[in-house]
Amino acid sequence: MNRKPPGSFNIHALLFGILALTLITGTARWLTLSGSTVTGKTRLAFWNGFTGPDGIVMLQIIDDFNRQNPDTEVVMQRIPWATYYNKLTVAGADGRGPEIFVVHADAIPRIRRAGFIANVTDLYSPTGVDVNDFDPYVIEQMKFGEDFVGVPLDVHPQGLYCNAEMLIAAGYTNPDGTARPPTNKSEFLDLITKTTIEPNPNLPEKQWGFAFTYWGANFRSLVPQFGGRYLDEQGNPVINSPENLEALEFLSEIAKQKLAPPADNGLGWFGYRTKRVAMVWDGIFMLGDLMRLDDMKYVGAPIPQIGPKPGTLANSHVLCLNKNLTPTERKAADKFIKFLSDNSIQWAAAGQVPARKSIRQTPEFQALPVQSAFAKQIPYVLYPPRTPTIFEFMLEVDLAVERVVRGQSEPKAALDTANKNCQAIIDRDRKDNPEGATSQ
Amino acid sequence: MTSKAKEQALGYLFIAPYLISFVAFVVIPVIVSGWLAFVRLDLTNAAQSEFIGFQNFQDAFNDELFWKAAAATLHYVILMVPSTIILGTALALGMYRLQKGQDLVRAMIYLPAMLNVAATGILWQWFFNNEFGLFNYLIRKFGGQPIPWLTDGSFAMPSIVIMSLWWTIGGTSVILLAALQQIPRMYFEAAALDGATARQVFTRVMIPLLKPVLLFVFVTTTIASFQMFAQALILTGGGPEFKTRGIVQYMFETAFNGYRFGYGAAISWLLFAAIAIFSILQARTFRGGYDG
Repeated sequence: MNRKPPGSFNIHALLFGILALTLITGTARWLTLSGSTVTGKTRLAFWNGFTGPDGIVMLQIIDDFNRQNPDTEVVMQRIPWATYYNKLTVAGADGRGPEIFVVHADAIPRIRRAGFIANVTDLYSPTGVDVNDFDPYVIEQMKFGEDFVGVPLDVHPQGLYCNAEMLIAAGYTNPDGTARPPTNKSEFLDLITKTTIEPNPNLPEKQWGFAFTYWGANFRSLVPQFGGRYLDEQGNPVINSPENLEALEFLSEIAKQKLAPPADNGLGWFGYRTKRVAMVWDGIFMLGDLMRLDDMKYVGAPIPQIGPKPGTLANSHVLCLNKNLTPTERKAADKFIKFLSDNSIQWAAAGQVPARKSIRQTPEFQALPVQSAFAKQIPYVLYPPRTPTIFEFMLEVDLAVERVVRGQSEPKAALDTANKNCQAIIDRDRKDNPEGATSQ
Repeated sequence: MTSKAKEQALGYLFIAPYLISFVAFVVIPVIVSGWLAFVRLDLTNAAQSEFIGFQNFQDAFNDELFWKAAAATLHYVILMVPSTIILGTALALGMYRLQKGQDLVRAMIYLPAMLNVAATGILWQWFFNNEFGLFNYLIRKFGGQPIPWLTDGSFAMPSIVIMSLWWTIGGTSVILLAALQQIPRMYFEAAALDGATARQVFTRVMIPLLKPVLLFVFVTTTIASFQMFAQALILTGGGPEFKTRGIVQYMFETAFNGYRFGYGAAISWLLFAAIAIFSILQARTFRGGYDG
């Protein structure tokens, strides 16, 4: 018979220890992440994709909320946008979703069809959030039938970023000597010419007046200027409409006339932030990157009016609730959403444009030069199409733009192909999901 | 309980964590994906999922994007597999010949294989950057024209292969080096006595004796190449114009971005079938040659 020597390793104790530790940590994790009231507090999980500096600002706002509301604890879970939506949808569809979550406005149709998004119409009340404090078009994006499904936290439009020094050197100045961004097509093209400088003894690398950034977004920034759109009233694609064609033809001309670096050059935003490009179009969310650069003098402005009317692409971070909340959780979540919306001036400091008009009118917001300049475009923005097939749909549109910018297709042919493929996507979606397929 | 039974139970207890995770994360997902491949399941409308037989497979055969992804995958396989075999064998032979410092060289060659694909991808993204990248900097230094490594359709896939080779070649060459070192010296001595040239030793002695290991490398590299995903996702995102978007990326995007889980599962089974066919063909070809 084997006798265990004193002080020998006890494998059974180790295994039981591991089991106990697993159970304890698992339970603790469950308590932390679920909307539990075990500890006397209503805990709310809040998921979003704010993984950059914006996430730090959001954490500060949440800290303020938790301090001011001792009966509630909001716990934020940040997930990179690249994988955020599939995690959110899988969890939500399976009944394990967070109590509160952020989605982009163009993602609402498919999240809504997944069936876990709550109707928040009652939040728009005299004691809640004032529906009239939002721009009509922006608030319309939250509405499906008579129901509101979210509260927009911000509006992030595309705008014009200019290198102030290059503009001043080109003579585009205000009376006070500051840089004056171009406002229309002729000024824009003139400025491109004036700020495009070939290499010389003082300039080792060519300086470009303008560079494409994300081609698809550059195109979509022009679509509303020509009165274009993506879907008609019946929800069928109209990608190849004459208006969209005009928008793409302008980009095509920029590429053909070599007014921007070749498509394969890849300068884009990098070129702008390294002072090799005078102007780019990009989202307000890129401002955080510029704010980190000490020696960069920049100015933000609306996208110049190329078409017959002003316009640009925009989207929103929308605050949504899980429909499977208990009354206590729902009450706490409503309070949190109202708090975020009421305090979205703090969110503006992270390089965002609050959706609330009253907040954009405050002196604090007006003192933020780029945010306030981009915000001027909100009355005439165009959001991406409202379709649950948004991912596949926009891939086709972006591919068409890419082929044109690369000079591999004429705009008409590229948009015709995109329209045909988008129609096939919509048709398949209608067949697979007869109820609530697509809406504009 | 007898001590033997106790021993047995303890053994199962030890492997239980792995067994549970294997069943949970491999066996069950494989079974579920097999079922999903025959179902129309849109995650945004899971309640309306229905059994549709082979419709998902039929859809794949009629899907232009599927064939584009298959072509991109095949392009990668064709470039990657022979490059790995040739370069891996060359490096192994080089290391085999080294009299001094073999361990150091082996460690250096193997080092990239220890890196995470995300870190490797980001690193090489900077190397390949058109304007600020190391490669174009060197090309400009020597008076050449910069190459659009990742942004031009004809360069993008070879660039991904270059990165993948740098990342994986260490493992392949170490395996081949170990195989070379296993070849008894008497074969080389006998060949030398018979007056064989270096080329004859390589083709008539080394290669035949390396065949089982070469088959292993060939099959594993082919399988890994068919599954190429993260490299392209990080370096090019699948562009330009989907020219580097392989089957796995298309499957991932279909299922997890487009939420068409049934169709995504069908694509994954088609990929599995392709890999299985290639593996069987490779094994038969090589085994035939070896035995014969």
